[in-house]
Amino acid sequence: MDVQGYLALIAVGKFKEAYELIRRTNPLPAVCGRVCYHPCEEVCKRGYVDQPLAIASLKRFAADQIDIEEIEIPQITKNGKRVAIIGSGPAGLTAAHDLSLSGYEVTIFEALSQAGGMLRAGIPEYRLPKDILNGDIRYIEKLGVKIQTNTRIGEQVKLEDLRSSHQATFIATGAHESMRLGIPGEEASGIIHGVDFLRAVNLGQKVEIGGRVVVIGGGNTAIDAARVARRLGSSVTIVYRRSREEMPANVTEIEAAEAEGIEIMFLAAPTRVITKGERAEKVECLKMRLGEPDASGRPRPIPVEGSQFTIDVDTLIPALGQTPNLAFAQGLGLELSPRGTLMVDEATLATNIEGIFAGGDVVTGPAMVIEAMAAGRKAARSIDRYLKGEPLLTEEMEEKRAPQETSEEEIAALRERFPKQDRVRMKELASEERIKDFKEVELGYSLAQAQQEAERCLSCGVCSECRECEKLCQAKAINYEMKDEFIDVEVGAIVVATGFKTFDHRVYGEYGGGKHPDVITGLQLERLLSASGPTGGEVIRPSDGLHPKTVVFVSCVGSRDEQKGRSYCSKVCCMYMAKHAIMLKEHDPEVQCYIFYIDVRAGGKDFDEFAQRAQREYGALYLRGRVSKIYQDGKKLMVCGEDSLIGRPVEIAADLVVLATGMEHSAGAAELARILNISYDTYNFFIEAHPKLRPVETQTDGIFLAGACIGPRDIPESVAQGSAAAAKVAALFSQDVLTTDPMVAMIDPMRCSGCLLCTQVCPFSAIDTQLTRDGRTVAVVNETLCKGCGLCVAACRFGAANLRGFTQQQLLAQVTSLWQ
Amino acid sequence: MAIGYQPKVVGFLCNWCSYAGADMAGTSRITYPPNIRIIRVPCSGRIDPLLVVKGFQLGADGVLIAGCHPGDCHYVEGNYYTRRRFALLRPFLDYLGIEKERFRIEWVSASEGKRFSQVVSSFTEELLRLEPRELVPERATL
Repeated sequence: MDVQGYLALIAVGKFKEAYELIRRTNPLPAVCGRVCYHPCEEVCKRGYVDQPLAIASLKRFAADQIDIEEIEIPQITKNGKRVAIIGSGPAGLTAAHDLSLSGYEVTIFEALSQAGGMLRAGIPEYRLPKDILNGDIRYIEKLGVKIQTNTRIGEQVKLEDLRSSHQATFIATGAHESMRLGIPGEEASGIIHGVDFLRAVNLGQKVEIGGRVVVIGGGNTAIDAARVARRLGSSVTIVYRRSREEMPANVTEIEAAEAEGIEIMFLAAPTRVITKGERAEKVECLKMRLGEPDASGRPRPIPVEGSQFTIDVDTLIPALGQTPNLAFAQGLGLELSPRGTLMVDEATLATNIEGIFAGGDVVTGPAMVIEAMAAGRKAARSIDRYLKGEPLLTEEMEEKRAPQETSEEEIAALRERFPKQDRVRMKELASEERIKDFKEVELGYSLAQAQQEAERCLSCGVCSECRECEKLCQAKAINYEMKDEFIDVEVGAIVVATGFKTFDHRVYGEYGGGKHPDVITGLQLERLLSASGPTGGEVIRPSDGLHPKTVVFVSCVGSRDEQKGRSYCSKVCCMYMAKHAIMLKEHDPEVQCYIFYIDVRAGGKDFDEFAQRAQREYGALYLRGRVSKIYQDGKKLMVCGEDSLIGRPVEIAADLVVLATGMEHSAGAAELARILNISYDTYNFFIEAHPKLRPVETQTDGIFLAGACIGPRDIPESVAQGSAAAAKVAALFSQDVLTTDPMVAMIDPMRCSGCLLCTQVCPFSAIDTQLTRDGRTVAVVNETLCKGCGLCVAACRFGAANLRGFTQQQLLAQVTSLWQ
Repeated sequence: MAIGYQPKVVGFLCNWCSYAGADMAGTSRITYPPNIRIIRVPCSGRIDPLLVVKGFQLGADGVLIAGCHPGDCHYVEGNYYTRRRFALLRPFLDYLGIEKERFRIEWVSASEGKRFSQVVSSFTEELLRLEPRELVPERATL
């Protein structure tokens, strides 16, 4: 999902682009923007600061800005394969959308007179206006999806027939059967179940309800039924057996219901319907109290003895939950769960019958719209793979990313960085207005409100993935689908040239610790001076964009400083400071550069002449001494230091301060060294085989070094080393036969007892076993694998193992002769 | 302390780290006491305890074993064997009447020329504080 992307696009007023981005992953944007219970908002990091972004409302806003009839229909190449989908709810519609885009010919079979499943039959008009739903469905039909309404599988069409005319079937029939109350009198007239009631009202049928309505249950269906009954002019009471905290319905829904004058009676459960003739007249209830948690984790309601009471009722609406109706699938052998839902493979949604997939409420029982849509998408992928003959399960599916945990420090940092700003509230119809008819309650954001809300996004993901750059890049150089991959390469030699990173100057609190924007590093100045840099070569202060006139350089930041754990000289800084001083003067003759230095290290051909030129021709003033402090004074940066040649403290009011940060090992250098089995020093620079005689080789055969990964060095030196390493590799590869060190282990088979302790200690598995002619098992060294460490020699208890060049006799002779 | 006494130290140095470290001390012109006689071995894991005992038997005042830092062995795990093997030798040296200060194991990497010099200096100073070893004359040589 590219949530941050469309939030960013809404914030800048690119509503059409935002909508298109939402459409990439969500085939029902207008619907989701209204009815989704937005689990995404629960993981939004803004929630740690104040309240999460109103993601769903902004999605609705984007959808409301678009006339769906004008959205372009993509070109689809049909592949001639046919897929049947049973049920046109969110799961079925999503699967149809995806499959149609992939080129399949999709037909949805819908039992009711209109498409939409629970979106149409279950969700009242005031939450999801029918023309909005129709719009999203129309678009899916335009993609070539056929929706055959009034077609109940098992009656008009047999499931077997579907299977013979379609290559794959997706069952997404939802859960529309009401659960029974299980109390006496339940069959009386005047009782209509919640989903049946909602379906009838939503499909425009005439439903007669009385003036006093009692709704039983605490879920969203109960609330919906109550609010619909209220709009039909009844007074409504909801009876729920637990307390408000345990109510499964959405909190905002409960509050809205109460605002509309619906009474909720907590801790009560019906025990009997008292009838008068055929008709329900009263409902007898029992008070409850909360006990220990039950299997669902909620406290179990326990009846209070003798607390019976009755409520007068004209219409009773039980809304206790729904189960799937799977009558159509009987006799086919589809596997069912004990709860009466379909059993599928969780990862692929395949049922036990080949070619039949299932998802949504029919598998999970009543759940959220977005979960059904996710199931639809999953099923579409599986069906696509199935029909292409690919394996259903792929590695990609298993690596679903869980949202990352946010650490305490991160939360504290977020709170410090972002001031509180509550989410923008959407306008709603007044509650007395609402109950008059079925007008949409939530009125949507205005343009300004939406942008204000979208701007609250913290952009915690850095790149928002709005994909605008992808559209603009004519060379098609931006690819969002690329993924990390592991590649195995077999090579004969490795040249390590991992370079360096610049020292992080923030540890120097006295230089501002990275807090002053106009204290920059040499590398940053290099970018400012560069014609291809961010400013096109114009040198400006980062804080206010003015041209600096007084520039102070501070050398040896993170070099030659034992207190900061960097006692070595970074070697290149003296020269680049001189270069920068010259270039700054060339850019703007009014610039005056000051350079604080310890020594000017300008060793090398023409180097010292260059440094002299910076002083003599370009007027750079060199001051010998360390800078002790840099602080802000108005628009200036005050640089305090000492000129140790005149023995006086100096203070310079600078416009820009450039820290000549040193070079240090690249990230992960030590880990790489361990992987390659090469040595590294205390600063994590790699160690050459010999500092003078073998400067680009390592002690591990076939691994070579070049450049600043060995230690600070400049470009000419790195280039020379690169060439040297290449020549060394070429020399290695030019040989037909490789010679190895003759210092390898040997084992005297006459003395070997066959204990094979040596095979256990050998790090290179270079010791094999051999059967001697007299039937003994002895160890034998594989000389090409042996590296000559001698571990086996020290481990051998019988003196059978020995190491050429370092034999026991040779070493003993050395010890013996030491003081002779 | 005997006048003019100079302790004799046998140093077994692994080729890749400690011997290179000693080399580094040399190329960096860092000095260290000349009391040490260095024997190069491919890996500290090659060092047979017999060589250590032999050194003491022949009159060495101290024996130093130096290898790569744990985790950095050129042969992956040789120095782990060294560490365990000589932990076992220590009580045996004690049994032979050789003070525990006379035997040291140190980790010196190829870049630690300075550290090598410090190790040899401090070991030599420590040996100078101890009395010279009394050797049983007839067993002094093999």
